[in-house]
Amino acid sequence: MRRINRLGALLGAGALVLGTVTIGVATTVSVASAAGKFKACVVTDTGGINDHSFNASAWAGLQNAAKQDKNITASYLSSTSSASYTPNINKFISQGCGIIVTVGFLMDGATATAANAHPNQKFAIVDDVPNAPKSHGLLALTYDTNQDAFLGGYVAAAMSKTGVVATYGGADIPPVTIYMDGFVAGVRYYDQHMHKHVKVLGWTPSAGNRAKGQFNGKGTFVGNFTDQTAGKTITSGFFADGADIVFPVAGGVGLGSVAAAQQTGKKHSIMWVDSDGCFAEKADCAYFIGSVTKGVTTSVQNAVLAAAKGTFKPGSYVGTLANGGVQFYFDSPTVPASLKATVQTLTKGIESGTISVDPTKYPVG
Amino acid sequence: MPSARRLWDRYRSASPITIALLALVLGLVVGAVIIIATTPAILNAWRGTFHSWGAPGHALKVTFDNVGAAYRSIFTGSIVDPPQFWHSVTTGRGWTASLTPLSETLTYAVPLVIASIAVGITFQTGLFNIGANGQAILGGIAGVAVATLVHLPMALHLPLTLLAGIAGGVVGGAIPGLLKAYTGAHEVIVTLMFNYVASYFMLFTLLSTPLQLPNQTNAISRTMPGGTQLAPLFGTSSGLRVNYGIVVALAVTLFAIWLLDRSSIGFEFRMTGANPHAARASGINARRTLVISFLISGGLAGLAGVAWVAGTTHYIDQNFLQGSAGIGFTAITVALLGRNRPIGIVWGSLLFAALEVGGSNMQANTGIPYDLATVIQSAIVIFVATPVLVKEIFRLRALRAESVKVATAGWGS
Repeated sequence: MRRINRLGALLGAGALVLGTVTIGVATTVSVASAAGKFKACVVTDTGGINDHSFNASAWAGLQNAAKQDKNITASYLSSTSSASYTPNINKFISQGCGIIVTVGFLMDGATATAANAHPNQKFAIVDDVPNAPKSHGLLALTYDTNQDAFLGGYVAAAMSKTGVVATYGGADIPPVTIYMDGFVAGVRYYDQHMHKHVKVLGWTPSAGNRAKGQFNGKGTFVGNFTDQTAGKTITSGFFADGADIVFPVAGGVGLGSVAAAQQTGKKHSIMWVDSDGCFAEKADCAYFIGSVTKGVTTSVQNAVLAAAKGTFKPGSYVGTLANGGVQFYFDSPTVPASLKATVQTLTKGIESGTISVDPTKYPVG
Repeated sequence: MPSARRLWDRYRSASPITIALLALVLGLVVGAVIIIATTPAILNAWRGTFHSWGAPGHALKVTFDNVGAAYRSIFTGSIVDPPQFWHSVTTGRGWTASLTPLSETLTYAVPLVIASIAVGITFQTGLFNIGANGQAILGGIAGVAVATLVHLPMALHLPLTLLAGIAGGVVGGAIPGLLKAYTGAHEVIVTLMFNYVASYFMLFTLLSTPLQLPNQTNAISRTMPGGTQLAPLFGTSSGLRVNYGIVVALAVTLFAIWLLDRSSIGFEFRMTGANPHAARASGINARRTLVISFLISGGLAGLAGVAWVAGTTHYIDQNFLQGSAGIGFTAITVALLGRNRPIGIVWGSLLFAALEVGGSNMQANTGIPYDLATVIQSAIVIFVATPVLVKEIFRLRALRAESVKVATAGWGS
């Protein structure tokens, strides 16, 4: 009898759970009932909203917008593979999203197709310029991160005690190599003007049409944006080769670089990427010398707020030092005031165009 | 009611199907517990019960509303949304929206069925092909290469594309098979490591001419021309992605049933898997059996890769079968769930595909992360792999020896 009772209880529990799945009970979902009327939606890449990189930044932009304007509800969908971009975008279109944000070059095709098929649907895409001639609502958000990476390279060269700095990327794609390219330019500029010979490992730029978004060269790449162990291995290798400051351009993989720096004590530092390291990765702040950031959050936030207010302008936006779309942050208290002043001068020079961020314009130090 | 009595007896005596269904129930219970423990609205409602009488009723209602909304979203997103379907039946409109959930589930199930059968065949031989994902990647690359770089009439081009996918996978399966047969290198290590080789080889091909999309520095391939794609079953204008890959998956299932149950080589597979020493003693060439099993498994895994790309994106990029989208890894669990039998694998694939597709719908509707679907999938596999646990929880009658053989027998051998 006891057995039967226990069985019954368990079956009952199962039935209760299944019962809640009862088909056709079309009640509204209580979870989202208190939310606003304007839906802002982001389809993330396979990295998801916790990728320590642009997916996380884009989602933060939506959340900030929702906080600022109570009429906005933010929701997201993570793509499980490239094959789920299109169904995810379509799901949000059918849910009546006021603006759909997509993230990254890999979503170029899916975004362009959806924008062409739904000319009045508002889209914003991060780090890419899709070709969607029929659309009236597509905003392309791109960033000249070689400008602040140049400052990062200059600071790294000036702060290096060993005279060797290094960088590596998640994958050999333009949104990554643009950072590495600017970093090398900053180091070479430092060498030329200070008559020093600081070396850069991990990226050797070659000629290419940088104005057209080609940042060619040979370098060290992880092959993905998730393998922190690989990031640690690569970084330890750079340390062994004499580098004391490493600039990982690989999203969350950079945490592997931090782990490598932790192992050697305070002898090595990391230059963080995409977001302000001392804000996004507070626990590891002591290891960051500075952060080369990209204003994905701010630009996405502005696009969403504009869409909710009805002032959304399609077209393209390019983040620069001049418009605050890219910024360099100092994270380490050891950076001398004189260097900070120099960086301010360099910033003005880059803004006005008198200083080039093309590494091939400078001699190899 | 003698028939009811017999049904009850059957339930009590733990058939594999009973175990699988109860594992699903337990998986959903685990998922519900996680939803309850992680949803702020539910936790707040229960916190409220400590302050006022009568609140437990409210808290229970909030709990059931949220868990119900999550599971309802999984169901309506992967099978059918009844109100929407009824709307289509009565008005004749909106059929695309009504059929999209089922179409998506079938789309995702196609490569999973093929890859899981590939893995199941080696399992039946007592071998472990952990490299189905790498073999599927090689198949995808080979298929896209033949589709984009060779120009042929469609009647030839599509079959040749699929054959290229099989060939790519065969190469991937042959290496560990031959290494095992002639050097004794353990196939688990070799196949596992070859997944990385395949991933990096893919990255290399996607960044080199001629496979890379021209005028492009990103890791992305050319797009397969229309004649080499597995076309949507109901035409491109239908908006439904379900494609002729279904025919391929059905053919593979029938082939596997024939291979394992009707052919002499399949008999050798199963005999070697059941007892390699006895098989050798009775004159079965172990080396030959091993290599053939790996060749067939690799070929099918390659076919899964090319069927996936030819039926959905028509191009591959750096994310192809990477991370959680690694169909070859999911295939290992599906093969386990389906007890390495083709029909069982088909049901297992449909369940996993439905959870995957429904999980996205749940995330869009309720904000509960998609990963919950993965948790449910994993819980189901754990329960299926430990039938004794399910038997104990539900107090089932003793397992009959032939009915529930632990599907993992021989792991690590």
